[in-house]
Amino acid sequence: MGENIFVGIATWLRGLMSGAGVPDLWNDTILLVVKLVAVLLFILVNVLWLVYMERRVCAFMQSRLGPIHVGPQGLLQTAADIGKLLGKEIILPKGTDLIVFLLMPVLVFMPPLLIYAVLPFGENMVAIDMNIGVFYLLAIASLSTIIFWAAGWASNNKYSLVGGMRSVAQMVSYELPLILALLGVIMITGTLNLNTIVDSQKSIWFVFTQPIAFLIYFIAGIAETNRTPFCLVEGESEIIAGPYTEYSGMGYAMFMLSEYANMMIISAMCTVMFLGGWLAPFGLDFIPSWLWFFLKMYLMIFVFMWVRWTFPRIRVDQLMGFGWKVLVPLALANIFVTGVGMYIFRAIGWWI
Amino acid sequence: MFGQGLIKGLQITWGRMFDKKQTVKYPYEKIEMFPRYHGRFELDVDKCIACGLCANACPNKVIQLEKEKVDKKQFLTKYVMRIEYCLFCGLCVEACNKDALKFSNIIDMNQYRRSWVRLTLVDRPAPEMTETPEEETPAKVAKNEAAAGQAPGKEG
Repeated sequence: MGENIFVGIATWLRGLMSGAGVPDLWNDTILLVVKLVAVLLFILVNVLWLVYMERRVCAFMQSRLGPIHVGPQGLLQTAADIGKLLGKEIILPKGTDLIVFLLMPVLVFMPPLLIYAVLPFGENMVAIDMNIGVFYLLAIASLSTIIFWAAGWASNNKYSLVGGMRSVAQMVSYELPLILALLGVIMITGTLNLNTIVDSQKSIWFVFTQPIAFLIYFIAGIAETNRTPFCLVEGESEIIAGPYTEYSGMGYAMFMLSEYANMMIISAMCTVMFLGGWLAPFGLDFIPSWLWFFLKMYLMIFVFMWVRWTFPRIRVDQLMGFGWKVLVPLALANIFVTGVGMYIFRAIGWWI
Repeated sequence: MFGQGLIKGLQITWGRMFDKKQTVKYPYEKIEMFPRYHGRFELDVDKCIACGLCANACPNKVIQLEKEKVDKKQFLTKYVMRIEYCLFCGLCVEACNKDALKFSNIIDMNQYRRSWVRLTLVDRPAPEMTETPEEETPAKVAKNEAAAGQAPGKEG
């Protein structure tokens, strides 16, 4: 029953509308809007929860308790924070590029929103089933680079500018190993459709057949989301808050929230590509597929947080050296080995 | 092996997750303060002889006390501490000969208004005198008169 709850709601809504004599075109449009609004709500609620979770996990790893006062177990803490930030003035520093400065906090939420449209949250649960899903996802994900950079540029502040430049350098150099790592999976499946990729993991998850690719993807993913071992973009001790330095009130909140939305995307992508997406492991089918997807996604998010609160920040030269001298060659070698392996398996007939 | 340190670090933080948490949920549970903590003042009124040593010892003139004489004894009628000026240095407690003034380990003395901070330890009327005052006995009056009579003579 739980398996088809969301699909069931969609079918019920469609039936209700065609019963009321709504033309098919309008019917589809309304359903699409409902799906997108659902995705939007899902992101915002999850992001609020993630900020809370981050603080709790961090506190627990430091033998503290974290937020416990607002609401039961401090659950409403982030809602209260957002309320506070909404009520604050957005300070406009002198000499900023006003249009860009004010536009960037709005635009920063766009790439995550666009990406959620193609993510398969469960069996038959994808807003738009696109046959170039992976390509679309990577193309949109790299858009956030320019938004961080423009925010840093428009602030007219040296720390913001340095942060923006670092963001570009870091994200561009870590996009490469990220995509090259995914290429191994794409070579095996021979498709860019996210649903088909999930389907082809029925016998074995790609984390077991492509462990190196998974590791590279994981490291590059942390760098893409600007989280701690690679948080040079925001490096508080060096450049205050990087591109966000001059933002206050809701502008700042949007950047912070988008960071968590990006983290969700990297985790969701990891789940789809390597952890079998919505497929249930060990035949535990009684748990609905979308719940499996979220469980795996949250497992990945927890690992991201765990890594964040364990390791210190690395230097800029170490970051670049690691990206270009270690991750990219390793990813290329992984592609080579995967290709050779495919030919060998085909030759001995293990490949279908 | 490469990456061993990373694994070790992750193990440490994982272990910390399940450690005993050091946080005290302050408004809900409080730490008992130490016995010699310089907290809110306490005055044992029965021990106090209203000598005023504490008021003298105070570097900030925090302590204001009023006394009346009852039956040859000083009777403390009012003992007010202007805590807003207090350093909690403890000189008044040290100065007290009778151990009447003491620190307790109560820490919450915060108030909404500055004027509410003032700590009134004693505020009571002096009791009725059981005997007639010394000044009004005939012998004393005569003595006083004699002294008064003498004084102008000295002057002159």
